[in-house]
Amino acid sequence: MKYLIVVALLFVIFSLGQALFYLVKGKGQSQNTVKFLTVRIIASVVLFLFILLAMHLGWIQPHGTRMVPVG
Amino acid sequence: MSEANADQYFVPHKARWPIVGSIGLTATVVGAAQLLNSETAMTPWLMYLGLLIMVVMMFGWFGEVIRESEEGLYNTAVDTSFRMGMVWFIFSEVMFFAGFFGALFYARTLSVPWLGGEGTGLSTNEFLWNGYEGVWPTNGPADLGGRFETLDPYHLPLINTMLLLTSSITITIAHHAMRVNNRKQILIWLTATVLLGAVFMYFQVTEYIEAYHLNLTLESGIYGATFFMLTGFHGMHVTLGAIMIAIITIRVAKGHFKPENHFGFEAVAWYWHFVDVVWLGLFIFVYIL
Repeated sequence: MKYLIVVALLFVIFSLGQALFYLVKGKGQSQNTVKFLTVRIIASVVLFLFILLAMHLGWIQPHGTRMVPVG
Repeated sequence: MSEANADQYFVPHKARWPIVGSIGLTATVVGAAQLLNSETAMTPWLMYLGLLIMVVMMFGWFGEVIRESEEGLYNTAVDTSFRMGMVWFIFSEVMFFAGFFGALFYARTLSVPWLGGEGTGLSTNEFLWNGYEGVWPTNGPADLGGRFETLDPYHLPLINTMLLLTSSITITIAHHAMRVNNRKQILIWLTATVLLGAVFMYFQVTEYIEAYHLNLTLESGIYGATFFMLTGFHGMHVTLGAIMIAIITIRVAKGHFKPENHFGFEAVAWYWHFVDVVWLGLFIFVYIL
């Protein structure tokens, strides 16, 4: 499950990178920057909803829930 | 020079801002170094003076660039320079955050388990830190800063993630509106983005106050250090991004930018998406996984 989340995050970063590529190469004429940024935000929202679902169903256990460390 | 010459690269006659910026940067860094290394009463003032010079420089320099751009002094070669500048800026930003995320990964997956006796760390654990279990989150075997509790990811971090994702949606709507030159829509959605960024920062400050109540401080060993460095520097980026979007909003209200020529807008929009993706990484690696 963790790996699925990491792969999804890598896809989000890839879309962001694509948008930067067209921002630099497109000289303002290309529609690709806004297109890839739209893909980026849709993928991010889907990933976030998936994390919520995974936490709700207990697929992943957030380490931060009132945990007192040993030490 | 009043008209853009398509063949000539515009160079201003009196470029005084670079030296002002250098003085500001030096004062800031020397002031910050003194603040960390000595206890002289005067030391913070040098850093504040440096920051003030930087703010004056940014308003002055960026203001001049905006005026020159609006006067039509820039040709396509200058445009390319701006875009290449953006690439180098983002490269430095990626390296900056890679350093802090790298420290987090190194501590979590390598050094802390070694201290707990994993891998070749058995004797380290046995003779140096006997009884230390090396479970994340941890303030390390020396118990730096004392016992602490971590923040509940279901509350403020979750709200903050929703706020930033929503702000990326609003700036994307503004971006689409820019492509069809719908000024009213651009202004509405850019303003919404700035407001969402401000609310994010309010919750971030609230979260820090809550963290200190849980004894999770910058002194709390490796967890405290990585937590506050990552979220703190991210917060500074959100603040900077929100200021940049606010300036862009004012420029849109003044009639700047065209559907086919709006690099300033597009670069700031991309930067906001970048800051949002960094937060998504933070949310996943600092709070969730």
